[in-house]
Amino acid sequence: MRAVAPILLASSLLAPGFARADLENEVKAAYLFRFLSYLEWSEPAAPSGEGAPLVIGVIGADDVYDALKDIVQGRLAQGRPVEVRRLKDGDDAKGVHLIFVGKSAAGGLPKWASGNGAVVVSEVDGALKRGAAINLLRKADHVRFEVAPLAAERKGVRISSRMLAIAAHVETDTP
Amino acid sequence: MNLKPKFPAFLRRSISRKITALVVLSTVAALAVSAIGLIYYTLRDYRETKLDDVRTQAEVVGRAAAPALAFNDPKDAEQDLATLAARPDVVHAAVYGVDGTLFAAYTREGNVEPIPERVDESGLGIHGERVTLAYPILEDGQRLGTLVLDVRYGLRARLLAYVIILLAVTLGALLASLLVSSWLQRAVTDPILSVAEAARRVIERRDLSMRAGKTTDDEIGILADAINGMLADLEREMAERRTAEDALRTADRRKDEFLATLAHELRNPLAPIRNALYLLRMDGADAETHAEARAIIERQVQQMVRLVDDLLEVSRITTGKLRLRRERVEVRKVATAALEAVEPMIRDRGHRLTVSLPPPGLTIDADPTRLSQVFLNLLNNAAKFTEPGGKIDFALEVRNGELMARVTDDGVGIAPDMIEPIFEMFAQADRSLERTTMGLGVGLSLSRRLMELHGGTIEAESGGAGRGASFIVRMPAAGAEISIHSIDAASRIAPVDGNGRPAILVVDDNEDFALTLARLLRARGYQVRVEHDGLAGLAAAERLHPDVAFIDLGMPKLNGYDLARRMRANPATAGAMLIAVTGWGQEEDRARTEQAGFDGHLVKPIDPASVLNLLASIAEDAKRSETPPGAPAA
Repeated sequence: MRAVAPILLASSLLAPGFARADLENEVKAAYLFRFLSYLEWSEPAAPSGEGAPLVIGVIGADDVYDALKDIVQGRLAQGRPVEVRRLKDGDDAKGVHLIFVGKSAAGGLPKWASGNGAVVVSEVDGALKRGAAINLLRKADHVRFEVAPLAAERKGVRISSRMLAIAAHVETDTP
Repeated sequence: MNLKPKFPAFLRRSISRKITALVVLSTVAALAVSAIGLIYYTLRDYRETKLDDVRTQAEVVGRAAAPALAFNDPKDAEQDLATLAARPDVVHAAVYGVDGTLFAAYTREGNVEPIPERVDESGLGIHGERVTLAYPILEDGQRLGTLVLDVRYGLRARLLAYVIILLAVTLGALLASLLVSSWLQRAVTDPILSVAEAARRVIERRDLSMRAGKTTDDEIGILADAINGMLADLEREMAERRTAEDALRTADRRKDEFLATLAHELRNPLAPIRNALYLLRMDGADAETHAEARAIIERQVQQMVRLVDDLLEVSRITTGKLRLRRERVEVRKVATAALEAVEPMIRDRGHRLTVSLPPPGLTIDADPTRLSQVFLNLLNNAAKFTEPGGKIDFALEVRNGELMARVTDDGVGIAPDMIEPIFEMFAQADRSLERTTMGLGVGLSLSRRLMELHGGTIEAESGGAGRGASFIVRMPAAGAEISIHSIDAASRIAPVDGNGRPAILVVDDNEDFALTLARLLRARGYQVRVEHDGLAGLAAAERLHPDVAFIDLGMPKLNGYDLARRMRANPATAGAMLIAVTGWGQEEDRARTEQAGFDGHLVKPIDPASVLNLLASIAEDAKRSETPPGAPAA
């Protein structure tokens, strides 16, 4: 039941005492996994071949990486297995579909955002202005997110309108 | 097993009520069955439709709420649930997280029911007027939570609407069925009632002439026909029975009367006989008295013998022992015998009698005694039932193979309703005590029976009481071999020899027939000449001047017709009596021979006796014609 536990946690974020940093990381990891369900990659960025995994790259957020590793184990998104890859500066992001740029690596945002076909997710204020398509926000006890659909579209990825409906803010200006 | 329905008492009396009950009950039964089926189907359908509908709604709402659940946004989920306000049947709706805790809720305005904090699995399903449905919220194959919808079922309202509609339909159908049954009343009940009414009247009034009115061609019509047919049969049979009973009573009464008459008739002669015996025993009686007494006894015994003979005939008729002894008899002789027997009575009563008889030589096949008895009976009756000095006519002829005799008088006559009954046994036209004529009432009945045995009939005609009567006797006489076309022919003949016997010429190409006939005639002393062809016959006729010529019709050289014509054309031979001898005896054959000048027509094979009778009569008539007029006939 290890795989289910984080989901349960994610759903119970309303509960007070959301102080613990590892809980926040787990919620963020869960959000990253769930984003996969609302994103639609088009060629050539889409995973090729039957059974090819969706790949999430994580930079500068080891805790999130660890939590995500647990979550994706044995689970499918869009009918595909999910692979988590730890990235560092200078790595080639080829074959990665979603990149989470943690706070500590936020300086490299523009580079990741311009580089390849992966959708960039971050967790710092103004990240959308710097090329990220999705940005996780901390609002009171909740983790919310804001979205820049055009940034995703530039990478050949369409964000589901149902996800846009739940977003805290939808950025329509292009940087 | 008795399958007949037990009708309540008030229905048993009349078919019309039964029909009304039948129509109404069957209508209601049919409606009830269809209503149950309809309601069952509708409820099932309604339930499925409702569940499908709720399921669809849940899917829409669940799918809308999925992202909110995925990214933990209860407010957004509540907005999604609030769209259910468009559906008035949704009481409340709630989204629960994957752990079963309440995430977001919607409740209808005015609803005070609390929303469970956790998914209540036991409360799912249909409970009375509520449908509670749990619907899993999934996203990309992941279970995110549960949507619970609590909806008003609305079944009771639907059911109520149906019941109201069905009640209205039932009411309408009942009215319609009452209309139908009143129509059936006319179409079905009326004919039955009419038949039943006819049957009831027949029983009450014992009137078999009643008939049931037939108004339809269906089974009731057949019933009416059957009843009418039976009534007709019964009526006819009752009438027949009455007639038979009447006939029996009449016969019985006649027998009684007959016995009384018989006693009277048998007793009547006894007084004169006793008186005569007394006269004979008297010492002082002279010879004249004795002779008178003997005559009385003789007459009275004769009368008693006749009565007893009549009785014996009655006995023969009733036991079926009456037999004929047929033979070839000359009609004239039979008639003459009867005329001779009745002559004294006619003379006594001073009647005038005229007689017309066929020419001599005509024979028929009959019992001479019985036939004579019939004629005598009719003549006796005529003499008896005609006032003294009356007129009686007896005419007898044979024509077209039938003998017809008619006895006519101008006596008391017969009432029209007695014409047939007088032929019945023991019948008496006049039953009054004052009647002057007595008899056993056997004569006519016996006569009719005798004519029937001869294959003939006897009938009576009368203009009514006091207007005279006429009795007609008919019988077949196909055996009559000679027919004389004209009675005058006999008187033309004059005897050639001293004995008064006619000279005869036989012309026939059948030598055997000609010679045997000639031999037969010669044996009786006739002078006969035979020729075998027409020309030779003519020559012989011109030379010998025969009185009678028997001429065959089909002959060589000159046929019979031409020979006859030539003989008639020659004054020397024209006076001969010409008789055709032929195998053809039809009416047209006789007409042809008559036309050719023949006096008679003889059909082969001929009866020698009738030829001899004919010749004897001719001779007799010829002799008589020589005697002076007024002399009595022999």
